Amino acid sequence: MTQASRTRISALSAFAVITALVMGMVVSAPANAATSKTTLIVGMSADLDFLDPAATMDNAQWKITYPCYQRLVEYNGANTDVVPGLASSWTISADNLTYTFTLKPGNKFSDGTAVTAKAVQYTFQRLLKIAKGPADNFTAVASVKVSGTNTVVFTLKQVSPQFLYTLAGNYGGIVNPTVAAEEVAGDSGQAYLANHTAGSGAYVLTDWKKGQYLKLEQNKYFSGTKPVLKTVLFKIVGDASSQRLQLGKGEIDIAEGITSDQFDAVAKEAGNTVMNKPSLTVDILYMNSTKGNAALKDKVVRQAISYALDYKGLIATTQAGNATQMRGPIPNGMWGQDPKAFQYTTNVTKAKALLAQAGVSNLSLDLLYSARQPWWAAEAQLIQDNLAKAGITVNLKLTEYATARQMIDAGTFDLCLGVWSPDYADPSMFMNFWFDSNNFGLAGNRSFYSNPEVDKLIRYAAKITDQKKRTAAYIKAQTIVIDEAAYGYLYQKNYRLALRSSVKGYVFNPMLEQIYNVATMSKA
Amino acid sequence: MLRLIRARLAMLVIVLFGVSIITFLMAHVLPGDPTTALAGPHPSQETLNSIRAQFGLDKPLPAQYLSYLSDLFHGDLGTSIRSQQPVTHEMLAFFPATLELVLVAFIVAIAFGIPLGVLAAVKKNSFSDYIIRFFAVGGVSVPLFWGGLVMILIFYAKLGWLPSSGRLDIELNSPESVTGFYTIDTLIAGDKEAFINVLKHLVMPALALGYVQLAFIVRQVRSSMLDALSQDYYLTGRANGLGKRFLVVRYALRNALIPSITIIGLSFGSLLGGAVVTETVFDWPGMGKYVTDSILGRDFPAIMGFTVVIALAYVIINLLVDLLVYSLDPQTRK
Repeated sequence: MTQASRTRISALSAFAVITALVMGMVVSAPANAATSKTTLIVGMSADLDFLDPAATMDNAQWKITYPCYQRLVEYNGANTDVVPGLASSWTISADNLTYTFTLKPGNKFSDGTAVTAKAVQYTFQRLLKIAKGPADNFTAVASVKVSGTNTVVFTLKQVSPQFLYTLAGNYGGIVNPTVAAEEVAGDSGQAYLANHTAGSGAYVLTDWKKGQYLKLEQNKYFSGTKPVLKTVLFKIVGDASSQRLQLGKGEIDIAEGITSDQFDAVAKEAGNTVMNKPSLTVDILYMNSTKGNAALKDKVVRQAISYALDYKGLIATTQAGNATQMRGPIPNGMWGQDPKAFQYTTNVTKAKALLAQAGVSNLSLDLLYSARQPWWAAEAQLIQDNLAKAGITVNLKLTEYATARQMIDAGTFDLCLGVWSPDYADPSMFMNFWFDSNNFGLAGNRSFYSNPEVDKLIRYAAKITDQKKRTAAYIKAQTIVIDEAAYGYLYQKNYRLALRSSVKGYVFNPMLEQIYNVATMSKA
Repeated sequence: MLRLIRARLAMLVIVLFGVSIITFLMAHVLPGDPTTALAGPHPSQETLNSIRAQFGLDKPLPAQYLSYLSDLFHGDLGTSIRSQQPVTHEMLAFFPATLELVLVAFIVAIAFGIPLGVLAAVKKNSFSDYIIRFFAVGGVSVPLFWGGLVMILIFYAKLGWLPSSGRLDIELNSPESVTGFYTIDTLIAGDKEAFINVLKHLVMPALALGYVQLAFIVRQVRSSMLDALSQDYYLTGRANGLGKRFLVVRYALRNALIPSITIIGLSFGSLLGGAVVTETVFDWPGMGKYVTDSILGRDFPAIMGFTVVIALAYVIINLLVDLLVYSLDPQTRK
């Protein structure tokens, strides 16, 4: 054997041995200790897109922005009513068209500049100019005027009973006007705010490693009570089983990605807690009564479908029992719901009789759904099975989410699964969005339901402020849309969240799903 | 050699043009547009239209393509619709992560694959040959995600030796980005703790991804080696009393490696593809996850940017492989 060949063969084996050694050394180095008490780590399933409060419409992103900004009014703990936030008080004119807010002095943005009426004006003018999703909530606003350093006046084009509530939503977050300096090519600072925060909330986004984590640290100019948690990390852990393992080891304190079938097992593990609260999120069946199968135009056919559905079975299978059957369109816990409203029960005989009455036989319908919600596949199969018992053939159309949305917008489906959660605590979020015949498609009326009488009632209710009169009108409209089975009113979901038992002070507000009150939370 | 490089660079332009037009059409033919993220769950028609106009999605396709192409030739990959950041920035954040993972996996695969392949060929039909082949069949047939999950279960959940996800423990500060490779950046920063931590994070994903490649290399090297061992020059050498080891290492290996390098080099591209699954299982913040999310969100500029970068990488790797073969194989120099 020559020197060269010996060198070559030993080089090859040395390469292999070194690689193996390095791996061995790396593995045997000591592991890291558990997380500190002033750092909260939330495991989330996917990275976020952008964080501009004037552009984002996604609760997942609001979990970052909500604690970094403050609003004129804020939700009151676990309740859906609003209390003073940046505004210490407000007055509403007799005609309900002018709202005058007085700001509490002393609030500061994260760069130390004061929160003034000008900042409020800047925020809303910017939001309307950007004209993305959040602007849809402020179509009633005619003008925002500054009247003194701490007084700001909103004038509305029409009476808008939900106006005050929309101000407590994420898009109501007051933005530091210094953002104007970050404007690129007339984008009103959107590119900058996409990955920065500029609010007066308790926290500031200090680091965002794409695909890895987002880091919130305290706003040193925050005027409220100093939070206990110094750092909040939102760590991206895509795989549900990885989240479960990391939660069990205390590497993450909250695991957002735990799936419906895992909660029971997670709750049994030492050191874990599963929070389970009723939410305002509902799961419904769109029944396309204008552009779908012609048979669906007949309310009797839609009633037959409503009787054929096995509500208990759906709740047991898809939510492991953690949901309540809906009583019409408005969920429990939202004012305006009719507690005496008619509720469909499972009655296959009646369903068959109704189909016969409508003169429909051999009905075959397409059911559109996507993989957006993990339980939809099981739900679609159950519905297929339920309707088969009544003699209706259901063809399952599993479609990719973006495509499904386009089809919902265009109305090219017969039946479709959907979820809905309100943006603000007002029944118009359900009644006006779902049933107004001017609102076909993604905008809200996804059953393409049209009834002039219902239109009249809900439009009236949306333009007055007297809650008694509004409730009466909404109840009247509910009776009609329940009788006409405009949607399949399936169930109202519980919100379940897996967290370490050491996490203290988390308050769930049904208007703020996926959002944490980190400023008042702590770790034992 | 210069001619080869020049020809390849000319080809690069044609490939990029072809790739860009095909991807552009495919992305836009899919129903659905990127307004979902921007318009919220229940957008009004006015909002949808205004957003489409802001991103030029209301213009006819050829006009959209031409404007994309003109930006591309100016080195501008456009702005991501989902993140509102320049796609180039996003690529700089995600591509090094994938490249680092793939390179380490590649090193693991080569470090073990070539010696094992040679061993299997030299000891053909022996016990060790069977063991190696069994091991190799496993790599080709065990699904990556399953293998990855089993590794997580053993080394993270049960033994607690290795982290299950990410590139670096979240409590440690990420190194100042110089190369984008955490292994190198932590060394530059002189942060020994972070460096070890980065390596720990690399072990499982690199092994999972490298195993598939390793199996592939073992099979390839073994068969080309067997070929070489049956050649006349080898038999003549043996007949003349030259040592087996000497012949294998000095002549047979060199000849066996030439076809192997071409194939191994090309398969580097498939490693980039395999990284998508590995990244998902181990939450590796690389291109794979990024492009999956981009496709689902119909983020056209990001999808295009990804494809262009990958195509570029393919062409460059091809060129490097050819240059390597060129230097190893005198016949190609004629």
